[in-house]
Amino acid sequence: MTGVLAALRGSRTTLGAALFALVLFVVGTVHTAGFASGDNIRQLLVFASFVGFAALGQTLVVLGGGLDLSVPWLISFGGIQLAVLCAGGMNQVLAVVVCVVVGLLVGLVNGIGVTVFGVAPIVMTLGVGGLVQAYLLAVGLLKATGNDVPTIASGVANGALGPIPVVAVVWLVVALVVAVVLARTRFGRSVYATGENDVVAVLSGIDTGRVRMITYAVSGAASAFAGVIISGYIGKAYLEIGQPFLFASIAALVIGGASILGGRGTYFGTVVGAIALTLLNSLLPLFNLDPASLSIAYGLVILVGVRVTTTRGTGRGWGRRARRAEESEAG
Amino acid sequence: MTIIDGAGTGAGAGRGPAAGPAAGPARELVVTGLEKAYGRNQVLRGVDLTARFGTVHALLGENGAGKSTLIKILGGVTRQDAGTVSLGGRKLPPGGVTAAQRAGVRVVFQELSSIANLSVAENLLYRAEPHRAGVVAGRRLQRRAAELLARFGMDRLDPGRRVADLDLAERQLLEVVKALAAEPRVLVLDEATSALSSADSSWVLDQGRQAAARGCAVLLITHRLGEVRDVADRLTVLRSGTTVLVGRPDEFDDDTMITEMLGRRVERLFPPRTPPGEDVVVAVRGGRVGERLGPLDLEVRAGEIAGLGGLQGQGQREVLRALAGATRWTGGEVTVRGREHHPATPAEAIRAGITYVPEDRQREGLLLTRSVLVNSSLSSLFSLVRRGLLDRRREAQRSRAVAGDTGLPEGRLHAPVSMLSGGNQQKVVLARALYREPTVLLLHDCTRGVDVGTKADIFALVAGLAAKGTGVVFYSSDLSELAHFCDRVYVMAEGRVRGRLDAAGGELSEESILRLALTHRADDTGEEAPAP
Amino acid sequence: MTDLQLPAAPAARPRARRRRPVPWDLVAALAIFLVLAVVDLVLQPALADLGQIGLLLQTGLPLVLVAAAQTMVVLVRGLDLSVGGILAVATVVTASAQGGGPGWIALALAVGIGLGLLNGLLVGPVGMQPFIVTLATWTIFDGIALKIMSTDGGTPPPAAVALATGETAGIPNSVLVVVGLLVAWLLLRRSRFGHRMVAVGTDAERARLNGTPVRAVVVAAFVLSGLLAAFAGVLSSGLTASGSPTIGDRYILTSVAAVVIGGTSLLGGRGGIGLTVLAALSLTLINDIVAAMNADVWVTTAASSGLLLVLVLTRGLVARLSGRRVT
Repeated sequence: MTGVLAALRGSRTTLGAALFALVLFVVGTVHTAGFASGDNIRQLLVFASFVGFAALGQTLVVLGGGLDLSVPWLISFGGIQLAVLCAGGMNQVLAVVVCVVVGLLVGLVNGIGVTVFGVAPIVMTLGVGGLVQAYLLAVGLLKATGNDVPTIASGVANGALGPIPVVAVVWLVVALVVAVVLARTRFGRSVYATGENDVVAVLSGIDTGRVRMITYAVSGAASAFAGVIISGYIGKAYLEIGQPFLFASIAALVIGGASILGGRGTYFGTVVGAIALTLLNSLLPLFNLDPASLSIAYGLVILVGVRVTTTRGTGRGWGRRARRAEESEAG
Repeated sequence: MTIIDGAGTGAGAGRGPAAGPAAGPARELVVTGLEKAYGRNQVLRGVDLTARFGTVHALLGENGAGKSTLIKILGGVTRQDAGTVSLGGRKLPPGGVTAAQRAGVRVVFQELSSIANLSVAENLLYRAEPHRAGVVAGRRLQRRAAELLARFGMDRLDPGRRVADLDLAERQLLEVVKALAAEPRVLVLDEATSALSSADSSWVLDQGRQAAARGCAVLLITHRLGEVRDVADRLTVLRSGTTVLVGRPDEFDDDTMITEMLGRRVERLFPPRTPPGEDVVVAVRGGRVGERLGPLDLEVRAGEIAGLGGLQGQGQREVLRALAGATRWTGGEVTVRGREHHPATPAEAIRAGITYVPEDRQREGLLLTRSVLVNSSLSSLFSLVRRGLLDRRREAQRSRAVAGDTGLPEGRLHAPVSMLSGGNQQKVVLARALYREPTVLLLHDCTRGVDVGTKADIFALVAGLAAKGTGVVFYSSDLSELAHFCDRVYVMAEGRVRGRLDAAGGELSEESILRLALTHRADDTGEEAPAP
Repeated sequence: MTDLQLPAAPAARPRARRRRPVPWDLVAALAIFLVLAVVDLVLQPALADLGQIGLLLQTGLPLVLVAAAQTMVVLVRGLDLSVGGILAVATVVTASAQGGGPGWIALALAVGIGLGLLNGLLVGPVGMQPFIVTLATWTIFDGIALKIMSTDGGTPPPAAVALATGETAGIPNSVLVVVGLLVAWLLLRRSRFGHRMVAVGTDAERARLNGTPVRAVVVAAFVLSGLLAAFAGVLSSGLTASGSPTIGDRYILTSVAAVVIGGTSLLGGRGGIGLTVLAALSLTLINDIVAAMNADVWVTTAASSGLLLVLVLTRGLVARLSGRRVT
């Protein structure tokens, strides 16, 4: 009974995010006739899954108390590298695997910088992202050919299982796996413990360095994979393809109720956050706003959304210590 | 026994010069009908307290009785839901800490309020810095701070040092000087002696008496009844957010006070000891950690409770941390059950059956937003994995069992530990250590700031574990605990063991521990202490 | 307690005064800067001239100021991702002068203060996470800049151009601005408000126990950040003689990098603008060195990111070896 209550309290923020998404959906439906059509919903799901994949690693990293700014460059990498490899005649499945593995290794570099060298995550991942960008620029110069996307990527991105897009199904499966890993495995517990208080985690026998390294590695791999399917959907791979996803990956998890300071949140929350964000992205242009007003409205809605979904206690007073002090009973 | 009869009974023959002029609202701090709830948790349910200026008033109660909340209200940190606080007949104005300070209330908080990145001087004169057009006058600041430290006999604190570089005891002393410096009308000492050696404790208590002699109302919160008898003129006991006992310390014996604090009788604080076995579970030969600790010899037998004694900061922490794998031995030979043991990480130590209860439960012991269940199983997760997944059924069973063993209230398995009282939080940390029966249990001051009832529970628990063959290494800043709970105490000074006192040989007492700790220091006053 | 009479209580024994600890953060930031300066001088011997240094400083000035803005917020344990947005708004406001007077500069600065105030209010009194607040206001401020000026253009007042590129009494204004910034910081650090900032950044809850108006200090830090970022915008506009609604984004993460390289702790309460200025100048030197290499864009990107990584990794390694914790 108390367990159920605790679970409910934990998911209250996710509920808030779902409500936020619902409101956006209703507004869209009322405003535009075709908003609730099957086609549009399918489309929205596909877009949302892009954000979801981009935010998958980011969620793990943030839960573990870090931040990954290299996500957008690894997304671009996934798209471009796949195109380059396939143009070179490599087996397409193998090429996808290579891209994802390289992404994983790059993530590992992030992890080593953060854990072994103790560099602030925000700077480490910024620098590594810059190196990936430089590599992509070099590749772009060497291979002046247009980066046409191989069939495997476009196939996954555009395929459908009956009425449901393939990517959405893949996303659902991945989300379930991640949810189980976070909630039901030793690794999941270790991630939360590391993010909330790494001294406690270390003294409890958790190898926090390894835990964090894994989160960054997963983030690298997930970003590269996101790049593969995003380029497949767009039909082209180019340098800036990952850019929108830095903001989106962070916004999705924050709207989903995760704490940017680590230790709190779920991937399920991020999934809902990604859907809410995608709804917002497709809804705002319907109001015929100029780009400037669009940008302002976008920021405002996110501010309000975060304020609504993260219930009181996100930062009353100032920072986490204050919150704990407020919550703790007399001693 | 005087059980609550409205406002302060009689004048009470205080002691010495502190037996001030006639009572009356103009000469008193009066708290009436104070109520406060955090969410659904009603912490104060009508607290009354009257403390006269010029006296030391002890405030007693177990963890969770509402003392801290009362103090927070006095200090302006939180606001009450109902009731009043008046000072010299005038109501304490709302307006937070600043207003309370302006009215003359200074609190030495248990959690300490000094700012680590500022210097001793900058902390001492925080918000009272001498300045010119907003720019702090550095030299004057230093000078004034040095004067203050000298005035209260604390000139071993260097005003220029960063507080981050001070040890816990020094920070505590700084905190007391800071409060004294403000010449308060009400001085609250919230367990200000719990982290201190006996010499420093007596300094604090002495300063409290002197402040009272200057006309201040001193509110002394402590778990040490001896201190109450030594310095308090009157006392108030809180239980579950209400005042249950008021009077002079000499009116009551210890049992009465404890019974009133707990609402039940504690049969005995220290459980009877069963003699330890002969097998050695931990042996350290010539152990070293860095340059300051060692060489050091130490032996713990199965079922033994081995104490680490001495003044604070003589290397006890380093010994515990090295055994726990949190720092590395840099030399010597360490064996656990005869096997070489040089853990590189706490994980290795835990797998070898060594569990560690760190000193600071809030920062090093607990995931505060997580449940009792999650916290208690945290270091034993590897034993709960079945086919790659955590066996949550087993986890719940085991957690419920250890929570029961430690005496945690039932039905709070899923409550975040931040919602528990300090004593219960400590029990959660212990529950984690007991999750899998440890070969060696390392306890770092696990009774500090814990009430008598919880203490008795903890001692009984540890003794029971020892009876089953666990070797216990016990460090406490409270000498009486070392003297009465341990089979043997290793007295440490300046990173080395200076002597071993056996309970069986009748040589173990508070006095013998202290004598060994101090005589050693007296021996080498010639050389500068390495001061950890 | 025991009844034992204590002989000369150890508490009363005065302890030898310690030597002041070496300011390793400053040493590291200075060393990094000097090494880069030497490298740059070797590559371009012509740099050894006050005028040339002034020119180099000019190009680095906006970054120096934005990084200083970031430092103010990081000191109170915040993070300001909207500094770029504020800078962009300031450039377009300044450039809206179309030959008008210096009043436009004042207006740009006032707008910066206002936007900083908005951030501060959302973080302090409303109590939202600074990272999230400024992530959202970054977008909002970028939108505002676009609203004022949809593309690069406009003309800033001559005063802004003079401020950024001119000289006073033979000394380049850029040098004067940096010196002024450092002097202002030294005064601020030693001021009572500076002590409050350090206290709040170190531990807000303890600061509150000391009677610090924590929320007000947080708001003030964001306002100062807004002002400095807007000043960066004014200078940027003067430098390019135009306004740009999209110029800000490139400064955001770089400003955080400068703060970290300088050694200001992202956990608050330690460090300062002096260190940040050195680091921002180091980053400017990196750009100058990379530009002097006259290489492809991918080489320059790799070189600047690579050097950034080398710097922070070395710092981390040194800190690890010397047994200290890093940010």
